[in-house]
Amino acid sequence: MNPFWSMSTGSVRKRPDAEEKTLSGELRTSPLRTSTKKQLPSIPKNAVPITKPASPATSAQSTNGTHASYGPFYLEYSLLAEFTLVVKQKLPGVYVQPSYRSALMWFGVIFIRHGLYQDGVFKFTVYIPDNYPDGDSPRLVFDLPVFHPLVDPLSGELDVKRAFAKWRRNHNHIWQILMYARRVFYKIDTTSPLNPEAAVLYEKDIQLFKSKVVDSVKLCSSHLFDQPKIEDPYAIVFSPWNPAIHDEAREKMLTQKKKPEEQHCKSMHVSGLSWVKPGSVQPFSKEEKTMPT
Amino acid sequence: MSSGTSISRNRQAPSLQGVDPETCMIVFRTHWAQVLKILEKHDPLKNTQAKYGAISPDEASTVQNYVEHMLFLLIEEQAKDASMGPILEFVVSENIMEKLFLWSLRREFTDETKIEQLKMYEMLVTQSHQPLLHHKPILKPLMMLLSSCSGTTTPTVETELVVLLNQLCSIMAKDPSILELFFHTSEDQGAANFLIFSLLIPFIHREGRVGQQARDALLFIMSLSAENSVVANHIAENTYFCPVLATGLSGLYSSLPTKLEEEEEEEWHCLLKDDWLLSPALVQFMNSLEFCNAVIQVAHPLIRNQLVNYIYNGFLVPVMAPALHKVTVEELMTTTAYLDLFLRSVSEPALLKIFLRFILLHRHENVHILDTLTSRINTPFRLCVVSLALFRTLIGLHCEDVMLQLVLRYLIPCNHMMLSQRRAVKERDCYSVTAAKLLSLTPVCCSTGITLTLETQGKDYILWTKGAQTKDSGRRSSESTCIVEYGRAVDISYLQYLGEAQEAILQCLKDCKVWSALYDGVNPDPATFIQTLAEENSTDVEHPMFRLQQRTPSTCSASQTTAFGEKMQLELEWDDSYDTGISPGSGVSSPQPSDDLGSTEVQPPAEPPKHIQEMKKNAIMLVKGSYIEESDFQDDVMVYRLCAQKDTQDDDHYKEKTLNAARECEVQSQTVVNGPLAKSQLETDLDEHSKRNSSLTSGVMKEQTNQKMTEIDPQPDLELKLSPQEADRSLSVRLLSTDGEDFIAQYDRIIKELDPNNANLEEQKLDTPDLVSPVEEEDDFENFSADTPSAESMSPPFGPKEDVSPTHASRSQSAPFTGPFISVVLSKLENMLENSLHVNLLLIGIVTQLASYPQPLLRSFLLNTNMVFQPSVRSLYQVLASVKNKIEHFASLEKDFPGLLLEAQQYLLFRVDMSNATEESQTKGNVQHSSNAGRGRNLSEACPAVLQPFLGQRGKKGLAQPGLPAHVRNAVLAAALFPEFLKELAALAQEHSILCYKLLGDFEDYY
Repeated sequence: MNPFWSMSTGSVRKRPDAEEKTLSGELRTSPLRTSTKKQLPSIPKNAVPITKPASPATSAQSTNGTHASYGPFYLEYSLLAEFTLVVKQKLPGVYVQPSYRSALMWFGVIFIRHGLYQDGVFKFTVYIPDNYPDGDSPRLVFDLPVFHPLVDPLSGELDVKRAFAKWRRNHNHIWQILMYARRVFYKIDTTSPLNPEAAVLYEKDIQLFKSKVVDSVKLCSSHLFDQPKIEDPYAIVFSPWNPAIHDEAREKMLTQKKKPEEQHCKSMHVSGLSWVKPGSVQPFSKEEKTMPT
Repeated sequence: MSSGTSISRNRQAPSLQGVDPETCMIVFRTHWAQVLKILEKHDPLKNTQAKYGAISPDEASTVQNYVEHMLFLLIEEQAKDASMGPILEFVVSENIMEKLFLWSLRREFTDETKIEQLKMYEMLVTQSHQPLLHHKPILKPLMMLLSSCSGTTTPTVETELVVLLNQLCSIMAKDPSILELFFHTSEDQGAANFLIFSLLIPFIHREGRVGQQARDALLFIMSLSAENSVVANHIAENTYFCPVLATGLSGLYSSLPTKLEEEEEEEWHCLLKDDWLLSPALVQFMNSLEFCNAVIQVAHPLIRNQLVNYIYNGFLVPVMAPALHKVTVEELMTTTAYLDLFLRSVSEPALLKIFLRFILLHRHENVHILDTLTSRINTPFRLCVVSLALFRTLIGLHCEDVMLQLVLRYLIPCNHMMLSQRRAVKERDCYSVTAAKLLSLTPVCCSTGITLTLETQGKDYILWTKGAQTKDSGRRSSESTCIVEYGRAVDISYLQYLGEAQEAILQCLKDCKVWSALYDGVNPDPATFIQTLAEENSTDVEHPMFRLQQRTPSTCSASQTTAFGEKMQLELEWDDSYDTGISPGSGVSSPQPSDDLGSTEVQPPAEPPKHIQEMKKNAIMLVKGSYIEESDFQDDVMVYRLCAQKDTQDDDHYKEKTLNAARECEVQSQTVVNGPLAKSQLETDLDEHSKRNSSLTSGVMKEQTNQKMTEIDPQPDLELKLSPQEADRSLSVRLLSTDGEDFIAQYDRIIKELDPNNANLEEQKLDTPDLVSPVEEEDDFENFSADTPSAESMSPPFGPKEDVSPTHASRSQSAPFTGPFISVVLSKLENMLENSLHVNLLLIGIVTQLASYPQPLLRSFLLNTNMVFQPSVRSLYQVLASVKNKIEHFASLEKDFPGLLLEAQQYLLFRVDMSNATEESQTKGNVQHSSNAGRGRNLSEACPAVLQPFLGQRGKKGLAQPGLPAHVRNAVLAAALFPEFLKELAALAQEHSILCYKLLGDFEDYY
């Protein structure tokens, strides 16, 4: 019986602001072509216009203030961008989901499909520093300390530092940490280990190492259906296979691939205007029956 | 006499319920026997006396009464199974309907009789319980009646006729087999085929109910035609449906008001539904246009194509094109507003396509409509506002062809950026660097004033959705959080901007899915693009897109050469200022002898927009005292202002004039500074032209104008040997030769480019008036139009070749240019402080729309602040930085800036509130009216009662303090807008950073 991974929400994090707005009565959702005048956005009902005093003191610090007041947005979007990159990478067997409470905490799970750790299902949490991307590298902590040279046997934290000694913005991305976390289970490195026992056994007594790994994998599996370590609406929860719920979900997953194409065909008729022949870079170059002759 | 209706209205259907059908039949037969007796009495065939005895009124009314009863019985007869009821069978076998029709013919066939008959049939076909039209004895007299009504002019008959036709069409729509019957019956009659259709055509453009019913009826037939190619063929080949429809548009257009009253309103810039509903002529036109749209939507492709063609060649080219080049500013504004309205009203892609094709590719007097429109953005008149509104509509279409012509084609070669930057085009801004940079442009002085914050922040984070939108419930709320420190004020408006940005980008992404290319700096490939253009250049004349226009019966002559010749003369007659720009020979330091001016060497000028010419002409006449005011010429106010606002005008005329020079100049610079490599090649090729700088130019131009001296044309040969370097040049040449006018707005840039010392546009502008002494202005207006600075500043490339320094050459070589539209929009934006609020709102709207496009080329140009562009290319960021400085400068000079700013902010918020309130009240009050049409209309008009109490200090007039000069008001409003604009752009940049991966991906499941 395969445990079914029952993360209910889609893999893309719900966007905070936009979805709701489109239906809101307050916001004008007029199509572009009919909207006629550019306007400032409407004011939310519970908002108060605050008239700042025009004192020189306030204005002096405003350049800083600009950053300060928009800082949270930059962080939020940096993390969203990171997350979209993760989604784009499609790392095999790795799934993450930002938490409900904070964009700085991501829940994840890794499925190991072959090698020494085959059948391992390891849940983990990624902690991102709040000065991202300028701070330290994000931390990755397994819910249960997996028996592995690079995983701290007490805290379960993966030794990320060895691969990302210094976190460099633009070069380092969170998906790289996830990829690294996956790779350590396939290609085992024993230098300066966090778990010296595992390292020594791997070098000296591979058989014992293997059996310890199997035990560790079993232990993790046995705790799979436990309540998540951190209580959060978006935490990843496993539950035993329940045909009533999961059959339908699986069906949906398997058929999903066809859908976009159909939708695409439909949308071709609905919207979008182009009469440019691919490759021609000339307007109205597409041969069409409707071409005036 | 309206017996038909009296039957239907007075008799109650249930009265026959339960009555024995046989009884009915007997009654029917006896009635008929009575009627027949009278009929036969007057039938010349049956009764030789008939022709002498007049029909007595008594007899007529007797027949009438019996017939009424009979018809009633026929209508009420219930058919069993598929067979005919006995009464119907009797009617058919006795050929009763035909006999009755002959009877009415035998009496005086007056309009009243016709109406009577028409009503009778209408009642029969609409109310009968069994299908009647399948029976020839019923159909035939009906067709006879209809054909007897063709050519009728009595309104009452027309009304009845159209009602009946409408009913017949709706029956046909339900039962297409009847269509066949009608079709073939008409053939039998030998009358015009498909009589019903032909009868409807004259009513296409009719106003009121009759017209509407006729159009509805025709639409029924149109949708039938989609399935029936015989009908479609017939309509397309044997009827005048399409020409009538298209030329009708022209006719209706000509009766549209040439001036709109709304112009009095300060804010007016485009026609909203509320506006045009007030003008009956416009309503009529819009009805017909909407009808065309509907026909194109439902009709057979054959009809659709024909109609689209006729609209292009019968309306757009011969009517709209000249209308867009009218004489007075007001007329131009009106026409532009009409065009904008039409674009917004047309929904069918095939129809929209020809409108766009017209705007993008049609050349009126050799200028692309698009270029003319672009050039008008730079006019000081309110024409600019209307033109901006039109462009906003165009850009909002998300149409690839539009964006290609307007912007993208200039970005594809990637000349505007440093070579090393090309790979950065696709880069995405992971850490909101651009947003931060844009927001940091918020002027210090604008940080005071109103900021929107949440009332209470009890938690250490806020729920974005809940915080921003408390109103919506019911929907599954996605509760995500934003990390916000406790107690810190969060700019709520920014959340709104983010939401709007996402909406805009996603919509645009969706619409752009059908685009042919990604426009990411790789596809289309810059090198291939340049080459393609070069190749197409040589075969340009044969290009199908031009062929179309040449065939059209437009004012634009098929032979471009003659057109040019005439044009030249015309121009020279009244204003020789164009010489300077047009002819390289007249350049101050140019060695070209002036004799060449009139010869074939003189290339056609890039047409200045005609309205500018005309306005200038008027201005000249006015100044010289020879201007005689015409009674209907309202534009003298404009002309006065034209003269009063000398500075602006100087700039403008200066610009307009030099616009002509632009393309010339461009070619010059291209040619001359092309680097030693190319030069030798050119020189040998062009030997016979004495190595004059203009030779190549002339050659190219001549090629374009299809003149005879093709032997000097070096282009085709050259292109085969083009090095990449060369390719750039040939691109420019190509751009020039096919649509050199594209460069109309390029002037400023070229000046900057050619004169390294004169990097600043501002300086140019300041210089110009100085050179024209105000005293001289009166007696030599031309002089100031033909002012020398342009020539002087252009002199380097015109000078001897030795003057061209290598640096110069390398700078101009790639001719980085982001296109006339971008240039003109950015330069207008740079003058934000001088612009009126409405111009700024439109500009901001246009720029944010452009910034919503996901194409990396556009996105990187507008929103990537890390991008390094060619020195001559002005980026949006630079422009914004310059605006910031201007605002800060202005704030430092204006004593009470904080107070004024606060007022301006209040005013802007108030504006928003008002338009929201208007919208809400409309939605609540009147469902019919709940469209967005009314939104955003002038405040004081929209809701005067509510408004008055508040208007005091912060309303429109409150802000426009009596003592406050317009320029201060404009500047303060701009200062209040600017930070919001920055937020909008920053929000777009942030959203792009997380949405751009969707370009290739499946964003649909995102919706």
